[in-house]
Amino acid sequence: MSMNERLQHKYALSEQGAADMIKAFISVTCSDIVLMFPVGLLYRLVSDCLSGTLDSSRILFYGAGSIICLGLIAVTTYIQYNATFFATYIESGVRRTALAEKLRKLPLSFFGKKDLADLTSTIMADCATLETASSHWIPELIGALAATCLVALSLLFFDWRMACAALWVLPVAFVIVLSSSQVVGISGRKQMKLKMECADGIQECLDTIRDLKANNAQGTYMSGLEQKIRAVERHAIVNELVTAVFVSSAQMVLKLGIATVALVGGVLLVQGSLDILTFFMFLLVVSRIYDPMQISLQNLAAIIAAEVQCQRMDEILSHEIQTGSEELTNRGSDIVFDHVGFSYHDGETVLADVSFTAKQGEVTALIGPSGGGKTTVSRLAVRFWDLSRGRITVGGMDISKIDPEHLMSLYAIVFQGVTLFNNTVMENIRIGKKDATDEEVLAAARLAHCDEFAEKMEQGWNTMIGENGSELSGGERQRISIARAFLKDAPIILLDEATASLDVDNETFIQESLSNLIKNKTVLIIAHRMRTVASADQIVVLKDGVVAEQGSPEELTGRNGIYQHMVTTQMQAAGWKL
Amino acid sequence: MKQKKKSSLARLFEYAGNYRYLTMLAVTLSAISAWIALVPFYYIWRIVKEVLEVAPDFSQAENLGHNGWCAVGFALLAMLIYICGLMCSHIAAFRVQANMRSQTMRYILTLPMGFMDGVGSGKIRKIVNESSAATETFLAHQLPDRAGAMATPVGLLVLLLIFDWRLGLLSLIPIVAAFIIMGTMTGKKMQEKMKEYQNSLEDMSNEAVEYVRGIPVVKTFGQSVFSFKRFKASIDTYQKWVISYTKDLRMPMVLYTTAINGVFVVLIAATFLLNSQEMSSTFLLNLMFYVIITPIITVTLNKIMFSSENEMIVADALARVDGIMNMKPLTESEHPMHPADASVTFDHVSFRYENGSADAVHDISLNIPAGAHVAFVGPSGGGKTTLASLTARFWDATEGNVSIGGVDVKDIPARELMDTVSFVFQDSRLLKMSILENIRLAKPGAAREEVLKALHDAQCDDILEKLQAGVDTVIGSKGTYVSGGEAQRLSIARAMLKDAPILILDEATAFADPDHEEKVQEAFAKLSKGKTVIMIAHRLSTITTADRIYCLRDGEIVEQGTQRELEEKQGFYAHMWTIYNQSANWKVGGAKA
Repeated sequence: MSMNERLQHKYALSEQGAADMIKAFISVTCSDIVLMFPVGLLYRLVSDCLSGTLDSSRILFYGAGSIICLGLIAVTTYIQYNATFFATYIESGVRRTALAEKLRKLPLSFFGKKDLADLTSTIMADCATLETASSHWIPELIGALAATCLVALSLLFFDWRMACAALWVLPVAFVIVLSSSQVVGISGRKQMKLKMECADGIQECLDTIRDLKANNAQGTYMSGLEQKIRAVERHAIVNELVTAVFVSSAQMVLKLGIATVALVGGVLLVQGSLDILTFFMFLLVVSRIYDPMQISLQNLAAIIAAEVQCQRMDEILSHEIQTGSEELTNRGSDIVFDHVGFSYHDGETVLADVSFTAKQGEVTALIGPSGGGKTTVSRLAVRFWDLSRGRITVGGMDISKIDPEHLMSLYAIVFQGVTLFNNTVMENIRIGKKDATDEEVLAAARLAHCDEFAEKMEQGWNTMIGENGSELSGGERQRISIARAFLKDAPIILLDEATASLDVDNETFIQESLSNLIKNKTVLIIAHRMRTVASADQIVVLKDGVVAEQGSPEELTGRNGIYQHMVTTQMQAAGWKL
Repeated sequence: MKQKKKSSLARLFEYAGNYRYLTMLAVTLSAISAWIALVPFYYIWRIVKEVLEVAPDFSQAENLGHNGWCAVGFALLAMLIYICGLMCSHIAAFRVQANMRSQTMRYILTLPMGFMDGVGSGKIRKIVNESSAATETFLAHQLPDRAGAMATPVGLLVLLLIFDWRLGLLSLIPIVAAFIIMGTMTGKKMQEKMKEYQNSLEDMSNEAVEYVRGIPVVKTFGQSVFSFKRFKASIDTYQKWVISYTKDLRMPMVLYTTAINGVFVVLIAATFLLNSQEMSSTFLLNLMFYVIITPIITVTLNKIMFSSENEMIVADALARVDGIMNMKPLTESEHPMHPADASVTFDHVSFRYENGSADAVHDISLNIPAGAHVAFVGPSGGGKTTLASLTARFWDATEGNVSIGGVDVKDIPARELMDTVSFVFQDSRLLKMSILENIRLAKPGAAREEVLKALHDAQCDDILEKLQAGVDTVIGSKGTYVSGGEAQRLSIARAMLKDAPILILDEATAFADPDHEEKVQEAFAKLSKGKTVIMIAHRLSTITTADRIYCLRDGEIVEQGTQRELEEKQGFYAHMWTIYNQSANWKVGGAKA
């Protein structure tokens, strides 16, 4: 593995980013070395003073030397600034984009598992930490190390005994900090977890504020949240202490170098094997070399702490993705479930053995008690997850072999829980078909009766609807989702009846539109009202993960099974009054 | 009311409470440590001095070891004090953070419901959570380090008197230059840039929330490539600002670095200027001292350099928190009064949402006697929910009065008002705690049996049966979530337990869980018994027996009366009724029927 590749892997960098990082290393090293040049000049100066050879004829030498040193410092700082900052910011843009790109390729099941706060924090905060890591910590550390090594080498060349006396502390200090990585890692992960709980608590409080207030429960909730906040505070102190213990003891070890230089120097001077100028030079060096190293040690500790973030990012970046052919080879759009079994990762079996065919041009209704597997079946039909057993085909094409996003082009989906974007009404509908003209969007929107609310809004179709459509009511959101489906006009429709009837005030209109939408399509509907499915072509009753009954409404009526039972109870409910 | 003019530090101290003394202690310790850190250089100088004095017979130099250890001793002491200082400042900084979070959240809980509209909970969370975190570096590192950086020049000034004052004075030149350059970096223009940069960061964070939330949808429409156009744009904008910000800082930074590393030039120049007359050994010794000690200037200045931008971050963070803290909370009456009964009266009530272009409800007057069951019906967006919400004071009416039992809701203590009115929302949310605790929110002291009875009455038995730990199942743990309809039944159980005399029911989600429609309705019926009920109704068949039906459209009451009266009127309601009956008979695939 080349250095470039290793960096890419370790710090989640692009190829360009890794190359830039190497450039940064070099430029930091250069500027660190240049910073040592004045020491040479001062060394000459003291040497000249000692030997009494300092006279005005040397002014030119020192003047020129000073200007060159200053110039070099300015130039290398400038180069270092460019190499570290700009390259990093560009790289973290690339990293954020890459992460976003990866996220969209993850199977949908991934999003059910992860809290929104967690994911977003991964994208934002972790990128920011890595940004600082790669703009400051890492190049500075490497630069300081490289420069110190060079200086150390030349010192060894000068006088190896004194060099040892001055430099032995460096490896010791580094070993101390490196050995802390385990402890710091544990503490860091715990801190991260507590912070996450606190952030989730705040989010939950904001999301449930109405329920809390309606029940006078603000106080109770706040005391729970308070505990989370205080837990973060308490552990932050512990965490800080752990890091401080390691970093500080390493820094203290560094200081011992001053004493050993004085002691060894004294002995050598007495022996007469060390000249006074060299001794001064080493004193000069020990007074300068440790402070940059102290900063490096802090950097090292910070880099170790950042590994928690690197790992989290790696967890996302290395997560399995669903892949497949981008070519759709289906003939027609019959959906066939062939002995399908499905369990979640935790082993909980949702579907045991489900077989049925939803024919093109027909309406197939999925009914049954909640938890029976209706929703799972409808989601499996679009490869939200991959199967544990069996096969699902669309028009003869095995869907597990097809890239999920391309597969989606065959489906229009109207489910509960509409997600909207902080954009205009128009653009939110256009999600259904990205290259649709305004006219097409408006036509679809009218079919879904979106015009009634959109045209009332301040800027009509161009009104921004806030974070996740916070400005819209539940029914309005549903109508947008139906409009999207109209716009998409795919051969297969997946529909949750609850969605269709959620906007009770406009139910009638929406039902009409839906009846138009599903004409001549393969329709799979999760149905709840038995009345609704009375004219479906086929009913599939799901219970406990298996197909309990299957057939046309006529066939099922009178069989005295689950369907019949559901029809009866619902007729009773219809008679209820306030 | 807080004064805006207060400095960031004073504001932070308000959050710190008594912990501010820890911060002050930290600052003091840091300054002391900075001074002590100068002492080792004195001992190194003593070594040099001794060596020069005894040269060439070095065997007389007996104090080298002693001085060496003294140098180390003081260096360690300085460091220990510094670390103690840092621990103090961290403890205080963490306390400030925690207090800011807690106080802001407490304040948020006193605000009217609508305060988050148009802002988004993600943004608020970020302000509460991360703005407070932004103060950490300032309090924990910058303040003590700055004290140290201030103390060092003072210490150097003292040393001037002991050693060569001319050299001392000259070596202060780079410090002055560095401070001037730093001043240009923290000027007004840069502050604005900083703000811009912070804004773009915040935007990016919001876009990220939206992007992540939207992925499932975007995937179903095969547009994930395009969906992050916006997200990508915000990433690019952020990048643009951060680069422009760093670009503006580039020249000052280069000058600054050169200045603080340029001390050697001063020393060289001084040697020539001051030494042209005589080259005394005293001067040489002093020169050695300055050669050894001046690197500390570079280190100290570097320490404050990278923290100085933090003060701007803090000011900005505080401004964001103040954005919340300056919102107007619902007022508590100074002369609390108690409602006489459970009647509800609206007297010429109008309400307009903040930023709204028209009244959401306009000039509404109606009187609901105690124990009456009334229904609000009408098209969505007509004002039904808003009007009902005013009863529980989720907002205050813009004009007119809402009163319960003859008392203006503004004069009823908030707690009592919430005890008087129960709400079953369209989209009830559960907290990540056990179901038992979730229900018990409504009545903190309730016995387990009481809660179980409420759950039973609210037809939740099947929900509990489904869950392994039953009523003790923690929502959200191990992927245990309840559906929207189940959540609503659980919130009915809350209302059962609370047993308030006035009940506001939003019926809409009866459909979110159509499999259990009949259960929800049964639960509603039980809950309504003997109470004043305002039903926000959608399915007209359920309200035919209501004492009075109010039809709301565009924020006004267009019709009112009993079912029979309204049907006879052949007006707005009668039309709704007809349409409703059509929809109830809808059949999927009905096109061919």
